[in-house]
Amino acid sequence: MKNTKIYSILAGIMLIMSSCGEDFLNKTDPTVLVAEGFYSNEKEIEQAVAGVYGMLRNHFNSEWQFNEYISDNTTLHFNVGNRGNGPALEAIEFWQYNAATPNVANLYNTIYSIMVNINTTLKRLPDSNASDEVKRRAEGEMKMIRAYLYFQLVQHFGDVIIVTEPVTTPSEAFLLERQPVETVYAQIISDLDQAITALPPSHPANQLGRVTKGAALSLMGKVRLTRKEYSQAITALNQVTALNYELLNNYADIFLPANKNHRESIWDIQYQGDNLFGVHSSFIYTFAPRESGGAVINFPGQEGGGWNTPTKDIIEAYEAGDLRKDASLKEGYFDLQGNWVPVPFINKYNHPHSIRGITNDNWPVIRYADVLLMLAEAINEESGPTGDAYNHLNKIRERAGLDPVSGLSKDAFRTAVLNERRLELAFENHRWLDLKRTMTVPELVSFLNAYGLRERADPTTSRGGIPFSNDDFIFEAYQVLFPMPEVQMRINSSLRQNPGY
Amino acid sequence: MKKIYEQRIRRLLGLCCMFLLTVTPLLAQQAGQITGKIVSEEDSEPIPGVSILVTGTNRGTVTNMDGDFTIQASSGETLTISFIGFQTKVVPVTAGQTVYQIPLVSSIGDLGEVVVVGYGSQRRADITSAVSVINMENIGDVPTTNATRLIQGQAAGVQVRQRSGRPGEEMEITIRGLGSLGAGSQPLFVVDGFPIGTSLGQNLNPADIESITVLKDAASTAIYGARGSNGVILITTKSAKEGQVGIDFVVNQGFANIPDSRRTKMMNGVEFAQFKKDSFEDRIRYFDQREPSLEEVPLEFRFPEQTQHNTDWFQEIMNQNARFSNYNATLTAGKGDIRSLVSVGYINQEGAVLNTNFDRFNVRANLDGKVTEWLSMGWNIAASHSRENYASTDGRDALIGRALWADPRYPVYNEDGSYNSYIGGTNGVFGTANIVQELNEMERTLNTNNILSNGYLEFSFLKDFKFRTSVNATLIGTEQKEYRPSTLAGTGFNQPPPREASLIQRADNVINIAADQLLSYSKVLGNHRIDGLLGYSAQEETFKRLQGNANEFPNDVTRYLNSAIRQVSSSGENSWSLMAYFARANYSFMDRYLFSASMRREGSSRFGANNKWGNFPAFSAGWRISEESFMPQTTWITDLKVRGSYGITGNNAIGNYSSLSNMAISNYVLGGNIANGQRLANFANANLGWEQSEQTDIGLDLAMFDNRLIFTAEYYNRLTNNMLLSVEMPIVSGFGSSLDNVGQVRNRGVELALDYRTRISQVNLRSNLNFTLNRNKVLEIRGDNDEIWAGGFYSVYNVSKAGRPMAMLHGFKMMGIFNTEEEILAWPTQDGAIPGTYKYFDANGDGVISYDQQDMVEIGNPHPDYIINMTIGGDYRKFDFNVLFTGAFNYDVMRNIEATTMNMDGVFNILHSGINRWRSAENPGDGVGATTNTWKWQRESNSRYIYDASHVWLRNVSLGYAIPNNPVIPNARLFVSAENLFLITSYPGSNPEVNQRGGINIGVDDERYPVPRTFTLGATIKF
Repeated sequence: MKNTKIYSILAGIMLIMSSCGEDFLNKTDPTVLVAEGFYSNEKEIEQAVAGVYGMLRNHFNSEWQFNEYISDNTTLHFNVGNRGNGPALEAIEFWQYNAATPNVANLYNTIYSIMVNINTTLKRLPDSNASDEVKRRAEGEMKMIRAYLYFQLVQHFGDVIIVTEPVTTPSEAFLLERQPVETVYAQIISDLDQAITALPPSHPANQLGRVTKGAALSLMGKVRLTRKEYSQAITALNQVTALNYELLNNYADIFLPANKNHRESIWDIQYQGDNLFGVHSSFIYTFAPRESGGAVINFPGQEGGGWNTPTKDIIEAYEAGDLRKDASLKEGYFDLQGNWVPVPFINKYNHPHSIRGITNDNWPVIRYADVLLMLAEAINEESGPTGDAYNHLNKIRERAGLDPVSGLSKDAFRTAVLNERRLELAFENHRWLDLKRTMTVPELVSFLNAYGLRERADPTTSRGGIPFSNDDFIFEAYQVLFPMPEVQMRINSSLRQNPGY
Repeated sequence: MKKIYEQRIRRLLGLCCMFLLTVTPLLAQQAGQITGKIVSEEDSEPIPGVSILVTGTNRGTVTNMDGDFTIQASSGETLTISFIGFQTKVVPVTAGQTVYQIPLVSSIGDLGEVVVVGYGSQRRADITSAVSVINMENIGDVPTTNATRLIQGQAAGVQVRQRSGRPGEEMEITIRGLGSLGAGSQPLFVVDGFPIGTSLGQNLNPADIESITVLKDAASTAIYGARGSNGVILITTKSAKEGQVGIDFVVNQGFANIPDSRRTKMMNGVEFAQFKKDSFEDRIRYFDQREPSLEEVPLEFRFPEQTQHNTDWFQEIMNQNARFSNYNATLTAGKGDIRSLVSVGYINQEGAVLNTNFDRFNVRANLDGKVTEWLSMGWNIAASHSRENYASTDGRDALIGRALWADPRYPVYNEDGSYNSYIGGTNGVFGTANIVQELNEMERTLNTNNILSNGYLEFSFLKDFKFRTSVNATLIGTEQKEYRPSTLAGTGFNQPPPREASLIQRADNVINIAADQLLSYSKVLGNHRIDGLLGYSAQEETFKRLQGNANEFPNDVTRYLNSAIRQVSSSGENSWSLMAYFARANYSFMDRYLFSASMRREGSSRFGANNKWGNFPAFSAGWRISEESFMPQTTWITDLKVRGSYGITGNNAIGNYSSLSNMAISNYVLGGNIANGQRLANFANANLGWEQSEQTDIGLDLAMFDNRLIFTAEYYNRLTNNMLLSVEMPIVSGFGSSLDNVGQVRNRGVELALDYRTRISQVNLRSNLNFTLNRNKVLEIRGDNDEIWAGGFYSVYNVSKAGRPMAMLHGFKMMGIFNTEEEILAWPTQDGAIPGTYKYFDANGDGVISYDQQDMVEIGNPHPDYIINMTIGGDYRKFDFNVLFTGAFNYDVMRNIEATTMNMDGVFNILHSGINRWRSAENPGDGVGATTNTWKWQRESNSRYIYDASHVWLRNVSLGYAIPNNPVIPNARLFVSAENLFLITSYPGSNPEVNQRGGINIGVDDERYPVPRTFTLGATIKF
């Protein structure tokens, strides 16, 4: 009797236990989507594409460090107290970077972290149930963006590892080797060819911000120009002029948040401010003077980072009456007590905004003025300063309120275009690659060291009594390429380092 | 009298359950009255507090202070006489005898004593694995809020570190070394059979604890499978003992402070002004090669002697009379079929830093007993509510660090009594919020509600079988609030107020439920003793969070989310589950040959689809040589046992869902509208599985001289394989790292423990000495990737590489200070070096000290060579005492805060010893302080900031006095206790155990909440 009772209770417990099966151990994160099974329908494909665009912000938030700040256009407001950025950001400004410089690794890492998303989307695209139209457009977008990123990589690092398929196991990643520059360019051009075919010339108003055929053609023009394939550059760029782009009348309007995706804009990275959606920019918070305490950014006590500070060199490069100067930079500011503080700052991304830290400024990647100047440069290289070349150049000068140029030699015209690009496209991440494109390595070395001497002798901003290090602003030929990041070298003994590092 | 006072200590601590009974006359009926005296067999001293029960009835009593008792019993009945520390004795009542003198035999070190082990208990004599039972008697009157303190210094192989003085903080426990590079190295805590996780938390009342057992080797921990590899700590709470009824109170009051010897001496205002003045002048002398004029020194430093204030910020934030109070009441009712224990406690600990404190209310009810002859049950429920006012105290830029480097030339208060809200910030000196104001005005609270409940039913059937089904649950709710008012300066440098006010409010909930089903069998057949266990266990934990952040408040009065202009909310949830089947068999033959085997098969939600299940077997055997007939029957060897064990355990202390590839949000803007975007968040690894530890243990137990001396020695070798490690991988894969099972770490060592007790005239003495020696070595990480660098260039790197112990400190080796330009030229190139900067070693011999990791070498070993702890206790007449020393020897700590407090470029206040810095070749200083002329080559990770942190703490001294018997209070004891009384070390920081960053970033001191010294006076009263 007693035992029967016990056994029936035990049996009941066993029953409860057995109902608790293997499913009990299957858990997924309820707060995120699982990658397995994603990319299957059109909505998910669209989200994956938007995700790649979203990640581009990571690259463009710091692209200024490698394309602008490293050059003669901008410097930093030396922070005597906070030496924490010494080996990071300052190393780039003073040409002291090496394999351990974290920001160089960030450039490299960010690009490859976007690449895996591009490659995964491209791989899964054909098997998804997205419409053919979406598939075609998405393929064009992914390849255009991939081309842009490899173009950045090849210019900054030389030979690089090409990945066009997602890596499925860690060990596969160790087998990939750096490919010659030529192979990288072949990949870029192949991607761009396909993007040009696949992308539409424009998108509906509610889709503005996606890359277009014009963007792909412009990028192709720049790639060809960089490779000194001038006739192909001209061919590509002339196709852009046939599209519906034009220069805005007022230079400052180009950067107005209210005026986003205008007729001159070919490709902007899209940001949105005045809300807490997390898709905002905050460039002025990095670029404003460090001790400006609410005088530049209109929030109580708000200071800037003091980075990417326009140099005396570029300030002096503006001709008198150049309408672009005031829109592009300020030579200082009045502090809250009304004293003039001569610390310059970039003004292109400085617009009123309603929430501290959250600005509404887009980042211009390619605009029509760039295309015209590239055309002028390509034509000049191909056939000297022809009428067309002057035409393109003087259109830009005219808008800037400057007199047209004429009667230049081929070399002088090249210099004129380079200088015009410097001012027209100032602080839009063109300068460094323009210098590398238009100069031989020895020319670049002597050009930069001459600038370095000037900056050392008469720094743009006060250094608080701290002298330069001996190696500051000494540029050596090997530095035209960044090193492979130290971590990548350490974990993969078969990875080659660039010479000099 | 010998044992009396020791036993009182036990009672006082709440670590055993003895009660003086207000004798209720019980059912006199036909029984006659008998009287008697209970004495210690050893010395015939009377023992008070002994429980006497007429077997099979609820007639019981306890002895008075003279060991006397009176009870109603008739012939034919038996008396069960029990008292902790003594063997239970059964005495028959014989006709005609009304007066009994009953001697009790001590059970200290008694081999019949039962020890709590995983999913059960075992006779001490039968144990064949490495198990340390904490001797509660040795702990003293410790004023502590956290139960982890009770383990400190008590067991060999168990390192318990008090990493900071933050009120209520749990201590860090490491058993047999750091076993894992990637997953955690914390042990599993099991409270009343419920595995609650790798943290004990802050809510268990130490006064409720009856016993603590530490399981160290694989044979004892493998029954906990995937959570056993870092050791297991079993905590059992008190329950009522049969026949005991009573109530006892403990009151303890005291105060805490930071002694001068544990403070860092900084420059005062005058000295700092002089230092700044000198540094302005020295720069002109060096860079311009001329004598400066006074006008070139900024006005504020020009006349240092006229500096108006000398604020010692560290002194200003001290709470030098931090109160400590603790009240506990325990009611025990051990009569009848269902016994109960109810306890109520309140503890309040003020911090030694201004406006920080922790307090907690505890209630507990533990019930157990028989429902029917074949069914018994138990139910424990403990609830607590704790409140903490905390502060950000860890790290250079937190309050303690800032109290060191803040400009001493500024006052705390303005002349009108208001706060001087912004300190420094002129002429290159970093500005900071007023530290005193921040402590007082910043609102930081953390409230926790905790309910822990265990219930079981146990069926006895077929004579030798028992089936036990139990359910355990814990609910933890925390509410956290941080409000930073607009009146405070910013958290970064140079951000004077008013600032934007900000608020974070967070509510977390954890629900952890476990169910165990255990079938056990126990049988003695002649010389054979057999125990068997079959079990099934399932557990699930779910964590939920709701959080709101808000900025821009129109005023500092209404401090709630909806008062703010900007609000962001978020919520999250995650959970894990496990399921396990296990079995264990123990067999002993003639009490000489002991065998044990166990097996656990466990599945976890945390691992990849292909590797969800793991097997964890263990075997052990022991031989009690002393029982052999060939052993001579000497008096000096009471027991001698050798034993060995081998087993495999696991570690699953990685995050949830780590094997899966997830998506993350990556939104964009298209056409001016938000476009929802998704990106890949991490690499999938469907093969992710257990981290395994294989451990071999060889032990020797020796008891001598009637158990007066008990010696235990262990040798162990623990190999951790397939470590769960975030492995770096080429970024071309899209991700910098992925979790994988790689590598191997070995911990091997020796543990020795010695217990000795003796009596010299009227003085009883006992002592425990334990010694731990652990050697850690990384054997392998991953072929191409066998170095793990954690840390930073401007702090320190912890580097783990094959062939060396884990997490060795790396940096430049400082070889001295450059005196002249010639010395710099003669040395390998150090770009930017000037006379007065540090001279570093060119480790790779390429002629250049590069400004990166290439020339960094091993500069320190954060693992102690050995650890020694010692307890000495005893009593004399009505006095008793207990003293605990803890010590760790030969290890290094990077005092990283000195990269700031010896940062000579004049942005921080510096150590007073900075007066002896390098000034010129003629005045080179003390050889450690660099020049003020530059910032480079002095604050990079380097050997200059490495210190030997060998130390001995006098952790606790407790003294007690038993108040002589009086009619008002039958049984009372007064005690005084001093915690963390003094520290012997050459380490310059306040706490050589700081281990600030934890994990594999060990041995770094960025300055934390200092550890105070606490003095208390208390009393225990029992009715």
